[in-house]
Amino acid sequence: MKNKVYFLILTFFIATILFANPTPKLNGTKLSFPYTKMGLNKKQATVHLLNRFTYGIKPGDIDNVLQLGLENWFKKQLTAIQDDNELNQRLSGYDALTMDNETIVNSFIPMYEIKKILKLEGINIADSNFEKPRYKAIVDSFMKVKNIRLPGEYQRQLINRKILGAVYSNNQLNEILTDFWFNHFNVSLSKNQCAMHVLTFERDVIKPHILGNFEDLLIATAKSPAMLEFLDNNYSVSFNNNLSKLEYQRRINKTLESNVSPLQDSSIIKMIKQRKEQGLNENYARELLELHTLGVDGGYTQSDVTEVAKIFTGWSVVPMLRHSDYRKTFDKSRQYNIEKLGFVVDGNFLYRANRHDDSIKNILNYHFPSNGGYDEGVDLLKKLANHPNTAKFICKKIATKFVSDNPSTELIDNMAKTFIKSKGNIKQVLITMVNAAEFWDQNTVKNKVKTPFELTISAIRATNAEVKQPYQLFNWCSNMGQKFYNYQAPTGFPDRSDYWVNTSALLTRMNFGLAFSASKLPGIKMDAALINNNYEPESINAAIQSLSELLLPEVNSEKNFNRVLKLVSGKELTNKLEVHAFNQNKMENTNYDIMDSSKENNLQKMNTSITNEKLAQIVGLLLGSPEFQKR
Amino acid sequence: MNRRTFMKNGAMTLFATGIGGVPSFVSYAANSSKIIQPYKKNKILICIFQRGAMDGLMAVTPFADVHLKNARPNLFMSPAKNEGNIFDLDGHFGLHPSLSKFYDLFKEERMAILHGVGSPNKTRSHFDAQDYMESGTPFNKGTDSGWLNRAIGLMGHDASPFRAVSLTSTLPRSLYGVNEALAINNLQDFSLKIAGNNSTIKNTTATFEDLYDMTSTDILNKTGKDSFDTIKMLKEKNLKDFKPKASINYPNSALGNALKQIATLIKMDVGLEVGFAESGGWDTHFNQGKLDGTMARNLSDFSDSISAFWNDIEAYQDEVTLMTMTEFGRTVHENGTGGTDHGRASCMFVLGNDVKGGNVYQNISSLAIQDLEDGRDLPVTTDFRSVFSSVASHHLNFNDTKGLFPDWEEKRIHLMRS
Repeated sequence: MKNKVYFLILTFFIATILFANPTPKLNGTKLSFPYTKMGLNKKQATVHLLNRFTYGIKPGDIDNVLQLGLENWFKKQLTAIQDDNELNQRLSGYDALTMDNETIVNSFIPMYEIKKILKLEGINIADSNFEKPRYKAIVDSFMKVKNIRLPGEYQRQLINRKILGAVYSNNQLNEILTDFWFNHFNVSLSKNQCAMHVLTFERDVIKPHILGNFEDLLIATAKSPAMLEFLDNNYSVSFNNNLSKLEYQRRINKTLESNVSPLQDSSIIKMIKQRKEQGLNENYARELLELHTLGVDGGYTQSDVTEVAKIFTGWSVVPMLRHSDYRKTFDKSRQYNIEKLGFVVDGNFLYRANRHDDSIKNILNYHFPSNGGYDEGVDLLKKLANHPNTAKFICKKIATKFVSDNPSTELIDNMAKTFIKSKGNIKQVLITMVNAAEFWDQNTVKNKVKTPFELTISAIRATNAEVKQPYQLFNWCSNMGQKFYNYQAPTGFPDRSDYWVNTSALLTRMNFGLAFSASKLPGIKMDAALINNNYEPESINAAIQSLSELLLPEVNSEKNFNRVLKLVSGKELTNKLEVHAFNQNKMENTNYDIMDSSKENNLQKMNTSITNEKLAQIVGLLLGSPEFQKR
Repeated sequence: MNRRTFMKNGAMTLFATGIGGVPSFVSYAANSSKIIQPYKKNKILICIFQRGAMDGLMAVTPFADVHLKNARPNLFMSPAKNEGNIFDLDGHFGLHPSLSKFYDLFKEERMAILHGVGSPNKTRSHFDAQDYMESGTPFNKGTDSGWLNRAIGLMGHDASPFRAVSLTSTLPRSLYGVNEALAINNLQDFSLKIAGNNSTIKNTTATFEDLYDMTSTDILNKTGKDSFDTIKMLKEKNLKDFKPKASINYPNSALGNALKQIATLIKMDVGLEVGFAESGGWDTHFNQGKLDGTMARNLSDFSDSISAFWNDIEAYQDEVTLMTMTEFGRTVHENGTGGTDHGRASCMFVLGNDVKGGNVYQNISSLAIQDLEDGRDLPVTTDFRSVFSSVASHHLNFNDTKGLFPDWEEKRIHLMRS
C-alpha cells in the first residue's frame, strides 16, 4: 500500500515534468523573426535588426548578418561571449576599470580629502599656501608616492570606456542593455557621495545581470553603494530595535555606575541628540516602487512608501575611505562577531542591525512580521520584482527602447506574460519581443530618434573612424542634451523622440556631422575614402550613391540624393548660376562659336574631380541629415 | 497669414532674390510696419520652475506659528537675532535672509508672495508633480500640451518665432504642444559651424534646410524649420550689443545665465512673449542648512538672478511679469538627515509692475498636526491653477481660462492691478 502511494506520487511527479511543463526553456528560446510576413525583405530586416541592437551599422555588418542568418546573429548577441580583444587592447591603459570600490575611493581622492591625509601624515600646509608652487610640488610628489590621483581621472576613464565599448565591442547588445538598465536604475556623477561608485555600479551591479533575471538585478542595485548613496538610504535609520535600546541602556547604566547623572554626561547628550536628528528617509523607498518596479500607477499608497522605507532602515555602505574615523570604527567592530547580532557584511554592503526598524510592516497586501531583519528587505525585493505590475512596467520600458515610443498594449502584455512565466528572465522577454510581428512592422522601422550618444557612436561606426581621444564625444553629447552618467533625477533620461529633438539640439547634431566629417574632432580620424575601402567612385553620382548606401542603408530617398548632388556638384552657388546661365545661353543662342569652351571644360573638370574633401562634405551632409538621426 | 507663410513669403523671397543675403527675421520685420507694431506692445510672461520642490516653509517662514518650531528643532528660523534674523514681512511670515533682494521688491509692492500653493493631486513624486503642474491637468496624465503652450494659443494672435522661448537644453513640458516654442541652450551657439567662404556656408545651410524640409518624420521636419528660422534671426543682430550694463551682476549659474539671455531677447525686441527658465537643487533631503548650506545657497542664486534680470530689463519693466513655481513643498517636520522630505504645499513669487505686491496671499490655518495634510504636510489651500490663470490671463490678456485649464472651475485671485 505504502509502495503504491509512493509509486503514484513518483508517476505523478514524472508526468508533471514530462507533460505539464514541456521544456519551457527550449520553447522560449526559439527565435523566429516574422519579417517576411510583415513585408520586409531580408536585407531590410537585417538593417532594422542592426539599427535596434547595435550602436550603428559598420561597413560589412549587413553582409555578415545576411551570411550568418538574422536569428543566429541575434542568438550570438544574447550570449554576449564574442571575443573583444580589440576593445580590451584599447582599454589596457585604463587602470580604474579593474579596481574594486575601495581601491577606487582610496586612489582617486578629492583635494579636500588629500589635505586631511597630509595632515594625518604630519604634513601641515595652510590652506592659503596650497596653491603656491613650493607647496604644490610637495602635494604633487606626495600624491605620486602614494599613487593618489584626483577624481577627474576616474571620471575620464569611466566615460571613455563607455564610448570605446559602444564603438568597438563585438557584444553590442551587451553595451546597449548596460546603458538601458543603468538608465532604468539611474545613479549620477552629479551627486558627490555616489560619484565614486558609479563605475563599479555599471560593471559589477548592472552588467552581470543585463541578460539574467530582473530579481537578481533589482537586489544587486538595492545593495549597491551607488544606489544607497544616490537615494540617501545610507542615512535612513531607526532606533526601534533591541540592540539600539540595549546600547542606550548600557551607556546610561555606565554613567550611573560612575555616579554621574546621565543628563550631565556629554556623550549621552550627544547620543540623544543624534537619535533625535537621525531617522527615516523615504527617497529610495519611493523610487523603488515608482521607478524601479511597480511604476507610478502600480497601485501603492503613501503609507506603502513609508513602510518600505522602514524595511530598508539599516541598509548601508561599508565606510571605504581608509583614513576616515568611520572606517576605523568599522574595522574595530569587525573584531567582534557582528554577524551573530544580525549584521550583514557583503562586499561593500553593510546591514546595520542596530539601525533597523524591527516593527511589523504591511506593504501592498504583504505582511512582514516583527524582527524580520535583513531578510525581510530581500523578501520584499523578490516580491516586487515578480509583481505583475512590475512585469508590465518593465516590459513597456523595454519595448519603448527597442520597438517604438508607443508600443501596443498587446505587445506589452505578451512580453509581461513571458516575464512572469520565466521569473523575470530578461533574455526570454527580449526573445518574445523580437519574435513579435510588431517589431518588424514597417511603421516600426526607423521610427526611433537616436539619442545623442547613439548618434555620435553610429557616425563613428558607419565611417570606420579611428577614436584615439574619446572624451570629446562626451562634450558633444552634453551639448545635444545627453550628459551621460550625470542625469540628476532618478528617472534617468526619458526615452521619447521629442525629448531629444529641439531647435538647438538639432543644430548641434548638424554641427557634429560637419565637424566630424571635416576632421575637426582632435584624436578622431575619419577617412572618407576608407568608408568604401578606397574604392574610387567614377562620378559624383556614384560617390553619393555608395556613401548613402553605406551610411543610410535601405533609405531610398531620391529627393535627398538630388539635393546633396545639387550642392556637391557645383562648388559654389556662383558657379552653379554660371552653369545655369551658360546652359540657358546654349539653348537660346545658336551661335556656338561665341561660347567660351575652355570655361565649359573647366566647369566639368571641377565638377567631376572627386577629392577626399568632397567625399567628406558628402559624409557631413549625410550624417547631419534627418535620415541619419533615426534608427 | 500664419507665421510660417510669413517666413516663407517674406524672408525667403529676400533670400531667393539675393537682396539681403541670409535673411533676418528682424530686418524683415523692420521693413514692415504691420509686423513690427505688435512687438513693441507685447506683454511678456517669464516663468521659472524650481525643480526638486522648494521648502516654502523655509523660504517664506510662518515664524509666528509655534508648531513650526517644534517640528523643526534644527531648521526653524525667525526674525529673532539668534534664530536667523529673517525679514519680518507682516508679523506672521518672514523672508529668508538670502532673499534680501526680494525683500526690497516686496517693500516696493512689485512682488507678491502666494503661500500654501500646490496641486490637488496628492502625489509626492517629483516627476509626476512636475508633469501635472506643467501640463496643468493634475488628474490627467494623457494631456499632450503644456499650460504655457495653451496660453500662447489663447492669446489669439500670430507672432514671431521667438514668441515662446525656453532657455533650457530641452523643451520643458510646460511648452509642449501645437504652438511653436523654442528650446535654446545658449544664444551664442545658435549657428551652423561650416568651414569655408560665405557662399559655401550659405549653400550648405540651404541644403540642410531642404533636407529637413523634405523629411517625412514630423518632429524632425518641424524642429528643423524652427532651427533654421532661428539661425537667421540671431545672425543679423549682434548679440554683443545687448550685453547687460556693467553694474548688473548675474550669478554665474544655470538660472543666472538663462535669465541673462531672456533679458537679451527682450531687449532685442524680437517678439518674445513667454520665457521659461529652470532652477535646480531644491530637493533638500539632506543637510538643508539654515543661514548657510544648500538651501541658503539656492535662495541666493534664485533671488540674485531674478533681481539682476529685473534691473537688466529696466526699460521693459512695465511689460514684464515674472512668476516662479515648484512642484510641491516639503514636510513640516525635519527628517533624520538634517533635511526635509517631499511634502505638499509651497510658495510662489510673482514680480511685476502690474502686480499688487507687498502682500502674502494665503489661507493657511495653522501647522498644528491635526491641521496638516496626512498629519505631516502643509496642506494645499490655493490651487496652483488659480495663480497661473490669474497672472497669465491678466498679463497676457485673454479670457478663456477654461481653455487654459480644462475641467476646472476658475477661482481668481486678485493679485493683479486692473
